[in-house]
Order: sequence, then C-alpha cells, then structure tokens
Amino acid sequence: MTVLNAVTRALFERLRDEAADVEAEFAVAPTSIDDAAAVIAAARDARLPTAFLGGGTHGGYGTRPEAALVVTTARLDRIVTWHPDDLTVVVEPGVRVAALEEQIAQRAQTAVFPEIPADATVGGVIAAGLSGYRRLRYGPTRDRVLQVQMATGYGAVISGGSPVVKSSTGYGIPRLATGSLGSLGLIGRVMLKLWSQPRAAATVDVDDAAAAYAATYRPLAVLETTEGSFLYLAGAEEQVAAQVGEAEGVAREGLSWPSRIAEPIRLEFRVPAPLVRPAIDRARRLGATRWIAEHGVGRVEAGMDDVEPSRFVDARAWAESNGGALVVADGSVPGVDRWGTAPASIAIQRRIKARFDPAGVCNPGILPGGL
Amino acid sequence: MDAIGALVELLGRERVRTHPLDLFIYAKDAGVSPGDPSVVVLPDSAEEVAAIVRIARSAGMPIGVRGAGTGLAGGAIPAAGSVLIVLTRMNEIFVVDEVGRTAWVGPGVVNLALSRALVSRGLHFAPDPASQQAATIGGNVGTNAGGPHCLAEGSTIGHILGMEVVTVDGEILEIGGAAPDPPGYDLRGLIVGSEGTLAIATRILVRLTQNPPNVETMLAAFTAIEDAARTVSEIIADGLVPAALEMMDGPMVEAVENFIHAGLPVGAGAVLIAEVVGHADGTAAEAALIRETAERNGATEIRLAADDAERELLWRGRKSAFGSIAQSAPDYYLADSVVPRTRFVDAVNETYAIAERHGLRLMNIFHAGDGNFHPLVSYDASEPGMTEKVVRASHEMIHASLAVGGTLSGEHGIGVEKRDLMPEVFSADDLDAQARVREAFDPEGALNPGKVLPAGSRIVAGSGR
Repeated sequence: MTVLNAVTRALFERLRDEAADVEAEFAVAPTSIDDAAAVIAAARDARLPTAFLGGGTHGGYGTRPEAALVVTTARLDRIVTWHPDDLTVVVEPGVRVAALEEQIAQRAQTAVFPEIPADATVGGVIAAGLSGYRRLRYGPTRDRVLQVQMATGYGAVISGGSPVVKSSTGYGIPRLATGSLGSLGLIGRVMLKLWSQPRAAATVDVDDAAAAYAATYRPLAVLETTEGSFLYLAGAEEQVAAQVGEAEGVAREGLSWPSRIAEPIRLEFRVPAPLVRPAIDRARRLGATRWIAEHGVGRVEAGMDDVEPSRFVDARAWAESNGGALVVADGSVPGVDRWGTAPASIAIQRRIKARFDPAGVCNPGILPGGL
Repeated sequence: MDAIGALVELLGRERVRTHPLDLFIYAKDAGVSPGDPSVVVLPDSAEEVAAIVRIARSAGMPIGVRGAGTGLAGGAIPAAGSVLIVLTRMNEIFVVDEVGRTAWVGPGVVNLALSRALVSRGLHFAPDPASQQAATIGGNVGTNAGGPHCLAEGSTIGHILGMEVVTVDGEILEIGGAAPDPPGYDLRGLIVGSEGTLAIATRILVRLTQNPPNVETMLAAFTAIEDAARTVSEIIADGLVPAALEMMDGPMVEAVENFIHAGLPVGAGAVLIAEVVGHADGTAAEAALIRETAERNGATEIRLAADDAERELLWRGRKSAFGSIAQSAPDYYLADSVVPRTRFVDAVNETYAIAERHGLRLMNIFHAGDGNFHPLVSYDASEPGMTEKVVRASHEMIHASLAVGGTLSGEHGIGVEKRDLMPEVFSADDLDAQARVREAFDPEGALNPGKVLPAGSRIVAGSGR
C-alpha cells in the first residue's frame, strides 16, 4: 500500500470493505462502476495485482493471483430494472443469483442461472462463465447476457452488446466478458434475457440416461449422477404429461436437482457430448465418490477426497486428445495446471488480455496459458 | 511475381477472376452499395485460403470475404483494391455426429441444403433466414443471422460450437469445439457476427436441433397491427414461447398474395403466423391457447394448417415477402430494426408516419416475438434523387427505433450500411473497446476493412499502455 499516493489512498479508504473476508492487504467495495474504474486505474498505475470478488462460491477456477487489492461487488447489489413484458432485467453484479431468481419468479420467469447457486452473485456467475443444467434446453448463460458494462483494466467504463433480445450490432463484448474471470476488468451492470418458466415440470427417474436423452424431444436436462439418472421435462401441462407417459421410469412433479458437489477436490470433464459415459468411467477410476454428468452437454463434474496426480495427467491427456479439457475446479492436484494445455488461439487471447489489461493487474495468471 | 500471378500459380486461372464482368458481379451483395475488388478468388480448402491471405498481405492488399452475397448491410462488399475470397466452393458437409447432434460443414454450405441433408436423421440447423435457399452457413456466421425460428432457438451464435479459421497472418487455427466451455476467452463468440473482420471461417462446427415430433402452424388475421401486437404480448406473458411468431402488415400481405396466391386474407390490417412445436398433445393445447388469445384480441379469421402442404404454403408466403416486391416497383430498401417488444407498436407506427412524410410506399414485416422488424420501402431507383430520399427516410426510422430503446440491427449486421450510425448506440469508449478486440485479431485492419466500426472511432490518445 506504500506505493499509493495520497489521492489513491483516500479513494481506497472511502470504499474500504471491512466486512470482506480476504487475504489481501486491502478490500474495497465500490458503490458505482465509475468508482470501480478509478480504483482499477489506480491499481494499474501502482502495478497492484487486483482480484475481484462476488459471492466467493466459485473461487477455484484458475490460479488465483496473490492480490494486493480485492475489489468486491458487495455494494453493487441492486436489481436496477426488470421489464417482465420484454423478458429482460438489468442488474448490478453483486446481486445474489438466488435473490434475482426469487424476485422474477413472481412473474414465473427465470434467468436460467445455476440451479443451486448458494451465495453466488450474478457478476460472479457471468465472470466464471457458469451455466445451469437447463442449458441443454435454453443454451449456456453466455447466450443470455445481452449487454454488459465493464470497468476495464485500462481504467475506462465501457458498455457492449445491445438492450434487446436479438442483436447483430457490433462486436460481442458480452461474449468476451462472459467466462473472462476478471482478467479484463470488473463486470458491472448487465442486461439479461429471461425465459418464462414452463407451466409444468417433472423429474423422471430413469435407468439409462443416455437412452432417455436419445429418445426424448427437448428435455430440460438429462443427468447421470451417483444418486441415479434423471430426466427433466418442462413445458405445457399436456406436453409434460405426454412425455412422462412415454419415459420409462418413476416421475415426480417439479424439478429435483442434485446437491452441489462438496468434496475437497472437484474436477470438471468438458468433453464432446457422446463421451459423457467414458468421462464418468475416467472419473470413477480417479477415485470420484460423487459425480454429476450432463448428457447432451458433455460436462461431468466429479468430487473426490484425493487424486493420484499421474492418473489425473492420463485422464487429462484423454480429454484433451478428444478436443476437451479436464479442469481442476475446486481443491488442487499437486503439480498440475488448473486448466491444462493452453488453447491453440493463445496468441490472440494474449493480445486481447494486453489490450484490455495493459499493465497486467486484473487477476493476473487466472486464465489458461498464464494470462 | 505480382500478387495476381502468385494467386494464379496457387489456384489456376479458372479460380482467379480479374475480368471486369466478374469483378462487377462479385462487387455487390443484396444491399445497395457496390464494392471494388481487384481480384476475385475461389479457394477449395483452408490451406488455399491461408496461402491467399499470405499473398494478399505481402502485396499490401486488403482482404474481403463472401458467401452467397445475400446480405443486406454490405458486410460482404469488398474494399477498394481487395482480394475477394469467395467461399461458395467450400460446400462440403464433412461429418455429422447424430449422437452429439453436431456437424462439421464448409462455410459455403447453403443453409437450407444443410437442413435438407439432415432430414432422414431427424435433425436440422435452427437459424432460418428468409434467404436460406441461397445464404451460406459461413455468411450466417458472419452476420449472426437470424430468422423466424430464432424466437425460441436464438440466432446463429447459439448454434456454432467451433470453427477452423484462417487468421490475418495466414495461420490455420481451431477455435472452440464440441466440448462445452473451452477454457479461455470465447473467441468463437467474438468471431460470429464479426462480418469477416476478425478471421475467415473455413470449417464450421454447427449444433443441430431435433426435428419436432409435431408442428402446428396457424394464421390469424386482424384489422389493426395493434391487435396483432397485443396478441403477441399476451401469448408471451402467458409463459408460452412459440417456435415462431411472425407478422406482416396489410400492404405486405397484399403484395405477397398477388405474388404466390396462397389465399392470404387480403384486406386484413395485419396477419400473424404462429408456430408451436413438440409433443402432439402439447402443441394442440398451445395452439388452442394462441387461438383463444387471438380471438380475444379481435382476430377476424384464424386458420390452422391442416397438413405439411398447407404449412409450407403459409411459410412460403412469409419467406417470399421480399421477392414479391418486384411486381410493385423495381427496387426496394429493406431496413432491419429491433426494439423492446413492448415498444414495438410505437416504433412501427412511427415508420408509417415517416414514410408518409416522405411520400414513400412502406410495408412492414416483423419477427414480432422478439421485437425485430423490417420496414421495406419499394421505389424506382432510376428516378433522380429517389435512392437518397429512401435512405434518408430509412435513417429516420432507425432513429425512431433507437428513441424507444432499440438498436441498429437484429440480424443483418452493420456492414457499411450502418457503420457510421454506430456512434449513436455506442460511446467513444465503447467503440474503442470494440476496436481493441479487432486489433487483437488484426492489428493492421487488413480483414474486410471499412465494416462494423465507423471510420475514426478509435481513440488512440489516452488508450492502453
């Protein structure tokens, strides 16, 4: 902190977040995106590695920098405008996913965020590029981020995307921001596309998830887990009733989602959808005691107490040779990178990082390839 | 050896065109302004595209890219002195993965040809622009094309999983893929909709959608656009997102009916076409709900397509709208506007007022479910000053949309047509950020220069260090 000049210190002091539970020397909670940009600009000038914090529920993605400064979204927590008739909502990044979903559920709408969000914030989910299980029907979260504001690593406040549900207007800044893990700056307010909640929904216990996926028209999700295999259906009452009738298995009304994987180590296989079963086999051989596999999507989350690094390396080589990845999402595996081999496009990715965070202070090293 | 000589050596004389007639043909897309290429090349492979890019770069020539040229915003018209890469010969469907519901296709594959080729497997490519009989998947990627069924399925961006691209350095890279959420930045999401300015897609991994077990398509006629629009709003407020909710105004219905004789209700103020898909029991219930809603809002006639032939006829009516214009006037100017759905009637009424002020003939066609609409002015470009007048009126219409919270383009893209309107929806800082994205891919602006960003939008002073 000694490198900060008086002005910067005063700014940081004003925004100081005493409540934040962080290891950094300083935590600040800006009350506006302009303040956030001023803080980042000061961090840039002082070359202070800076981290961003939402709900702290998905802190395991990427290698966290040793941050001198943490910017939290604790005071950027308003639902700004909800346009239920346009199926859009504008929210600040610190809004809890659960609070947003609860509010818009009053008009039977959903943002299709992860189903068990715990304390996750809207900004955090978007920054981490997380999607819920319902992506099989509604697409990933990135398809619903219509507009995004960002306090960039170079100290500007920018906005990208369009305030409507369909647009082909300019470069896809919201797509770039989604999943960028704070490496380009802090995500500010966002406009999201909402969906109406289907009028009926059911969860069917099935014997064979892969067969259920192949046989069912547009299910909401098809999960194969340690606790069983489940087919999730939604739509008009008649549609759900008919599909339940055709599915072979016991049906319950409503959607029962599996609980979050809470084992010390959580891995994510991200593989082409037809490889879900082999990925489950790999997870078991790695010692997984819990898993949740998304048929039709290709994501298999696996939880375990411990993992043998050499076996992990083999499993990662298998995933990567099939065009996928094996990501360490929580906990750590000694001696291995959290993401794996950097993407082929790393040179372009590096230039994007350099143009949005020229001083390299925004979550340095959090992305694949050490970006 | 000069660039043309090098290109001829690479591709042979037949696939390198410099004859004025060829240059003339490829200089235009379906929009109003022509480009000015120096040479047109027709590669067959990514390797050839990469070699062309290297030749163009070492000769200091800008690089244009195009598919079928059905775009309306001028995204595919080449800058002066360009090497124009035409990708239509790269039209192979390489691999279809029925289990994963994906396919690798060449950028020159025609949109409708892809869905037709997949019929026996029960799959299709969901984006269905009206130009789908000619438009290519590569072009759909360039403009982030839409279409009637994007209401429920989303635009092209949601249906592209990965790409093989050629960069401005002539390198061949694979981006994204069949696995979800590839770690790192979503370059795929940046390239889709970038109108050939970031990279050239030479192979495309598309997501395929299941064909529905049952489809119900219906037409509802109304005396006023307001009634049809209210019907749309109430359907969606009811929690139903139909597969498509399309609308045509009275003049458009008349033009289409005179053209295809589908028995459309001539004399109606507006016609709504709604489609629901799914299990037969579900679609029957949803169709009933739409019928009730339409009746409650004063529908004068409701027609449910009894079979595929009738459904096809209804859709042919919708999709031949632009073709039907030729009988009323030799030229037309089609705008692409999108507003929040609740502001849709205000924006549309304003377009009629503007057309009337300029003494122009206006028809409207709408993707009503998502607030996207296409005011269409038919006119005779040989009348002196007419084109300028039409463009002026069209810009007024765009401003009317922006005034109610809309944006510049829903599905056609920015191209050259709306490039200089970008500062009306983005601040200088916003455009600077977009310029940074472009520079990260193409620092010297050699790929399709003059598209998307307005000239001079980049703020160099005070930018990143």
